[in-house]
Amino acid sequence: MLKFILKKIALMIPMLLVISLIVFLGLRATGVDPITYMVSMEVQAQSPELVEELRESLGLNDPLLVQYVRWLGDLVRGDLGYSFEGQKIADIIAVRLPYTLELSGYALLFSSIIGIAIGIVSAIRQNGVVDYIGRVFAVLGQAVPQFLVGILLIQLFSIKLGWFPAANRVDPNATNAFVDAFLHLFLPVATLTIGMVAVLMRYARNTMLDVLNSDYIKTARSKGIPEWKVYLKHGFRNAMKPVLIILMFRIPGLIGGSVVIETVFSYPGIGLTMTNSIVSNDYPTVMVITLIIAAVMLICSFMVDVLNALLDPRVRLGE
Amino acid sequence: MSEVTNVSIKEQNKSAASSLLKKNIRKFLRNKLAVLGLVIVVGMVAACVACAIAGVDYATPDLTNMKSAPGNGHLFGTDTIGRDLFARVMFGGCYSIFIGVFCSVVSGIIGAVLGAIAGYFGGKADMVLVRISELFQTFPQLVLVMMLVAILGTRGMVNILLIFVFTGWMTTFRMVRNEFLSLKGETYVKVCEAFGMSRSNIMFKQILPNVMTPIIVSTTTNVAVYILQEASLSFIGLGIQDSTPTWGNILNAAKSVAVVTNQWWIWVFPGLAITLFVLAINFLGDGLRDVLDAKQQ
Amino acid sequence: MDNREIILDVENLNTSFISDRKEVKIVKNVSFQLKRGSALAVVGESGCGKSVTMNSIMRFLGSNARVKADKIQYNALRDGKVTEYRLESIKKPHGPEMRALRGPEMSMVFQDPMSSLNPVYKVGDQVAEGLLQHNKGMTKKQAREKVLEMFRKLGIPDPEERIDCYPHQFSGGMKQRVVIAIAMICNPELIICDEPTTALDVTIQAQIMELLKEMQVKDGKSIILITHNMGLVAEMADEVCVMYMGRVVEFGSLEDVFDRTSHPYTQALLRSVPVLGLADGQKLETIPGATPNPADLKGGCEFADRCPFCTDACRARDIPMFELSPGHRVRCLKYQEFPEVL
Repeated sequence: MLKFILKKIALMIPMLLVISLIVFLGLRATGVDPITYMVSMEVQAQSPELVEELRESLGLNDPLLVQYVRWLGDLVRGDLGYSFEGQKIADIIAVRLPYTLELSGYALLFSSIIGIAIGIVSAIRQNGVVDYIGRVFAVLGQAVPQFLVGILLIQLFSIKLGWFPAANRVDPNATNAFVDAFLHLFLPVATLTIGMVAVLMRYARNTMLDVLNSDYIKTARSKGIPEWKVYLKHGFRNAMKPVLIILMFRIPGLIGGSVVIETVFSYPGIGLTMTNSIVSNDYPTVMVITLIIAAVMLICSFMVDVLNALLDPRVRLGE
Repeated sequence: MSEVTNVSIKEQNKSAASSLLKKNIRKFLRNKLAVLGLVIVVGMVAACVACAIAGVDYATPDLTNMKSAPGNGHLFGTDTIGRDLFARVMFGGCYSIFIGVFCSVVSGIIGAVLGAIAGYFGGKADMVLVRISELFQTFPQLVLVMMLVAILGTRGMVNILLIFVFTGWMTTFRMVRNEFLSLKGETYVKVCEAFGMSRSNIMFKQILPNVMTPIIVSTTTNVAVYILQEASLSFIGLGIQDSTPTWGNILNAAKSVAVVTNQWWIWVFPGLAITLFVLAINFLGDGLRDVLDAKQQ
Repeated sequence: MDNREIILDVENLNTSFISDRKEVKIVKNVSFQLKRGSALAVVGESGCGKSVTMNSIMRFLGSNARVKADKIQYNALRDGKVTEYRLESIKKPHGPEMRALRGPEMSMVFQDPMSSLNPVYKVGDQVAEGLLQHNKGMTKKQAREKVLEMFRKLGIPDPEERIDCYPHQFSGGMKQRVVIAIAMICNPELIICDEPTTALDVTIQAQIMELLKEMQVKDGKSIILITHNMGLVAEMADEVCVMYMGRVVEFGSLEDVFDRTSHPYTQALLRSVPVLGLADGQKLETIPGATPNPADLKGGCEFADRCPFCTDACRARDIPMFELSPGHRVRCLKYQEFPEVL
């Protein structure tokens, strides 16, 4: 088991290196010149020697690969560099990353619980009320664009009813931090959750149906054990694995979704930062955020691998 | 003599195939939602294409009629700068549907071919392809968009097509690869190999037809996925340039709270168009799955 | 015969499945009695409804199945006293009444040992589960001892070690022994074996059958064996029930069915069994034609299209059962002079 985990971790590092190299080269290939963001046009025109000096001192004239290694070295030492606006990227990340983790973490948590629960109930009571409502919800939830759901929620709950704020994460005048967090998080989390539940529910239902049709469920019933045990102990435990895997495959979608949702709710997370940096060509920031997102995804897929192994003796004992 | 039996067997096969086709069509027609989906898809495509051919004017602003509600000459009303919304939704449909269909077909083909190669040959080729697919999986799409936008210098349609194909082939790839992994152990494949059939022949003529059903179904439903993706990208302002109408671009106007509150028609009509089309595609995909899935027959 | 001698009494069992809003009859008017301590073989081609019959009795069928019967009576004999259970009147297929019977009274061994065991639990725990369910107050340690005892009895080598293994670490034959252990652990009276050896090697097959025979002879268990292997029938069965397209076409003692074979289908079935030392030039016979689709059956004898003795009368109406001698019943118009029975 330990060997399995170490092997998985060892595989993550080259992946991150390759991604960082692609991002670095790709963004440098865009030809955006950082100098233009540091020195005004007039200065550039008046004293090209000065600009050249600056270029040299920043190492911008070195071969790309050398620059890459230098950037990576700084990164490893914890120096994330500066954005084109002159802020320390580390500071931006420190404030905004937790916000996004909060948002997508809660969405993942709630959508897993709700989606799997509804999916399993609809599989057990196939063609029952829950199954029927669930199916309609799943079909609609997958068809309406997520940002539109967000817009509708804002329209209804913040503008018409005024229950929740329509934007931001922190209200400077708030007295209770917990209530403030709840109010700001509720709508964006709900929007993301709706989209995820629609997908998960259907998948959990179909997986559970497959499992319930298998022979070992019949064996379990032939022992005379109660139905809830048949469903949970024998059914759910086996359905868990494919559901977890689909959960992993949805995480990129969730992160992509939070980028869009952060725009809708002007939620100051890492996704909104990323969108803004992309629009303003602020590539040092983009590079760091890309790496963070990639790392988060790798960690998620790693965790699912480990969970998968824990749940399936064939994987656990096979290697 | 042998020729006679040959012909009759061929004809038998033909009639068997045609009766299977008939049976499948009957089965499809019995699935009401799937038929509804097909009707909506065909209807919307026809309407959009007809409008595009008729050349309705989607670009010229009617300056006297900005932000006007549906009615008086504008079926769906006009947008923030007075362009006719009906024409924009119809033209937008052409672009959005084209993006969806093109990307899902091309990425489906790429995924199927690479998946077939990885699954059939296994070993190094498989390992490299799987690693590449994992790489794409972890790579944020938005960054690719930005890179391409910057490299190509425009926010054109080509970027979007390239990016979606680039980042979208992995699902089909993984599915086809897994199917191939299990199918290549089947006896009939061994028989083909023993007959000395060429590898490409075995891969594409013998094994691939067994995997066609999931490929067709996922290609169909992927059309919806890409349309939604394009809408999201355009909504956050990183899609195709604003002058080209797509459903996502039209919805971009809904970023402003004032528009959402006061000019409902600007976001309701394109929103409805996307929802309806995606819904119909999903119904169609489910129906196809039911009809084509050999396991259920 | 009274309830002491008869363990299972089935009368007029009809099972149909709803598919595409159409009702397809799979099992039609099946009646039979199983004597306590004897082995009944149910034979027939695949798709003839033999498995569905047994699953209807155990109430294992899904919600798209409709089971109707005049009588499915199970007579439990405990401490010299007979308790009658009318299974057809139990409403919930997986409710408490049915569950109390599954395990301690009747159990089932399934066809494919590969998929009959839950892949994520240790085999020992899977066997002990039924035991702990039906014996409240039993500790896990006691259950483990019982399981070990059962493993030894069933000839599983190294039981102390194997009990903590997962199904994928077992061979097919060993898995089937585990499945039998699950079925046997609560010491049931009736064991239904649904093609228990079809998925296994021939040598393993013989071992498993020996095991079952031993349980019947030594422990006095009643066994229903579903199979299409006539060789196994000859070795195992006291009585034979031949089914075709959802109907019992011939029922009788092993001698009745094998030596005084009466139904044309049974005759054809027996002729198509390969025999060692088949003379040169002597061809193995096959039954002409294919089994019809149960959805498009017309009235009359289901075997008519493939039967060499078919007459117009055969297609006119459903064929009743005729009793040739006590206990030997045949569903064929060739025997019209004999008395009609259910």
